[in-house]
Amino acid sequence: MILSLAWKNIWRSKRRSFVVMSAVAIGVWSIIFMVSFYNSMIGAISRNSLQHDYSHIQIHHEGYLSEPGLGFQVKKPSMLMKFPSQIPDIEAVSARLIVNGMVASPKTNLGIQVYAIDPADERAVTALSGFLTAGDYFTNIKRNPILLSQKLAEKLKVKVRSKVVITVQDLEANIRAGAFRVSGIFHSKSPRINNGVIYVRHEDLSKLINLPDTAFNEFAYLLKDNESLIETKQMMEAKTNNLVRTYREIAPEFDMIEESSTISKQVITVIVMLALLFGIINTMLMAVLERTKEIGMLRAIGMFKSKIFFMIVLETFMISWVAAPMGLMAGFLTNLYFEKMGGLDLSQYAGALEQYGGDAIFYPEIAQSTYLLLMLVVMMTALIGAIYPAIKAVNLKPLEAIRKL
Amino acid sequence: MKVIELKNLSKIYNPETIPVRAINDVTLSVEEGEFTAIVGPSGCGKTTLLNMIGGLDISSEGSVDIGGVSINEMSESELTTFRLQHIGFVFQAYNLIPVLTAKENIEFIMVLQNRDAKTMQERSDDLLDRMGIKDQRDRRPSELSGGQQQRVAVARALASRPKFVLADEPTANLDSGSTEALLDIMAKLNKEEKITFIFSTHDQRVIDRAKRIIKLVDGEIVSDEQP
Repeated sequence: MILSLAWKNIWRSKRRSFVVMSAVAIGVWSIIFMVSFYNSMIGAISRNSLQHDYSHIQIHHEGYLSEPGLGFQVKKPSMLMKFPSQIPDIEAVSARLIVNGMVASPKTNLGIQVYAIDPADERAVTALSGFLTAGDYFTNIKRNPILLSQKLAEKLKVKVRSKVVITVQDLEANIRAGAFRVSGIFHSKSPRINNGVIYVRHEDLSKLINLPDTAFNEFAYLLKDNESLIETKQMMEAKTNNLVRTYREIAPEFDMIEESSTISKQVITVIVMLALLFGIINTMLMAVLERTKEIGMLRAIGMFKSKIFFMIVLETFMISWVAAPMGLMAGFLTNLYFEKMGGLDLSQYAGALEQYGGDAIFYPEIAQSTYLLLMLVVMMTALIGAIYPAIKAVNLKPLEAIRKL
Repeated sequence: MKVIELKNLSKIYNPETIPVRAINDVTLSVEEGEFTAIVGPSGCGKTTLLNMIGGLDISSEGSVDIGGVSINEMSESELTTFRLQHIGFVFQAYNLIPVLTAKENIEFIMVLQNRDAKTMQERSDDLLDRMGIKDQRDRRPSELSGGQQQRVAVARALASRPKFVLADEPTANLDSGSTEALLDIMAKLNKEEKITFIFSTHDQRVIDRAKRIIKLVDGEIVSDEQP
């Protein structure tokens, strides 16, 4: 009956209960929305960097980190090319020869990184061909084709089929220059690549700087999923004496972004929960003070303090039990709506978002466990919010209440 | 058999500043089955005396024995249990739980006593019947008249099968008809079932029905009569 009494007590003041339930539901909904939004944004940044730039795992010569360039080429490259057939979780590999250089157009010149690649392999790893906005993927230009980003094309004031000159140093530090023609212009989701990477065929660059076809200083591997990252890395390490690194080791900003995102989500949750906490305390305190005489009477006829405490806590819990699932459902439906509608379109902020490697369209992302976790957090908040009003209730003196009768 | 025994009972408010003796050296006993009215002018100490008998207030001096058990030295928790098991309370303003029906209000005290559902059902049905409010069993207090509410309150007080019922000005808010009906019920219960009632009142209609009248003036018993 105490359960039933607690439930009935909630509905004594329907308007007040409705207000506090709405506050809880809106709070929960807003957390779901914000967390989904954050996950989507951070997920897009990470995914774009991972899929279109770093890949899951890269292999370099140990000396490459201290002196990037042609001097430290990977050892036994033919063996590294076979990893996809030997290690089941590897999806694709792209072998690269990366060298710093200059690209010059009739109008200007820029410092860039030249990625000499096998077009088919690179397409499999970074989906580079999918980002073309003009021209084609190394097909129409027979001799020395080049791909560069829209941003670089604008800076160099070149277009498809325009001629540019690439200048690099060979192994002996001799300056080598070659004429290339723009085959395609792309717009990658990686700001780093858009800002300073151009792609040429490996055979063209190796001819220019007099290196064999087997000269590579980077191997990039795309895995089937992220789950087997460490395991795959360890398997690769066992097979090669080159330096094997995961994308997290290559770009520590991944961890930083995820940590800052986690902190942001926690801060938002804490702020919303604090607001709810004070709302719950205020509401329950009012409910207790309104029932001073009744609680005093209950104490007088023999209701134990513990049962009164339990009843007040139960009332608070019930408010949250009703409201939190409503908020969770509203959050779920909001996410579902945006999924069905093709995401939340923030194209008007696309420029700013691209600076960070994000997407202009947000697809809400939230783990199922977040719903459960949020429910627990609301319950904890309700419990904390119930304590002070419940203490107030049990400390009422029955005699003082009787005197008021 | 003595149900209540008070020995040299005193209640002094503000003992260290300006002492006020609300009850002064009261000694009395109440036998089982009595229908007793404690009367006197406002401020004479009727309610204070009732509160001390009911274990809601602590005496400054003297002792309160209920059914041979001294309640003076009991802890707050022990007193709560004692009130729950042995004392029935009826308040001037009824004080029913507004969200519960008449029947649920009566059963609530038995829930606190951890009685089983069947016992509660039988007891509440019986009391509703005897109080003449069986038809009102599913109504909430706000749907009942003052007299009906006070009958529910009496039924609630009796539901726990107490040693006695303390009623503080039970008819103060009732009209004549309701007062007479309530007194009829309580007198019948007293006569047929030997239920002990102790009223604090200055309602002449209650005084006229009482079998024993204890008059208090300035916290002291000035007369104790059985008309």
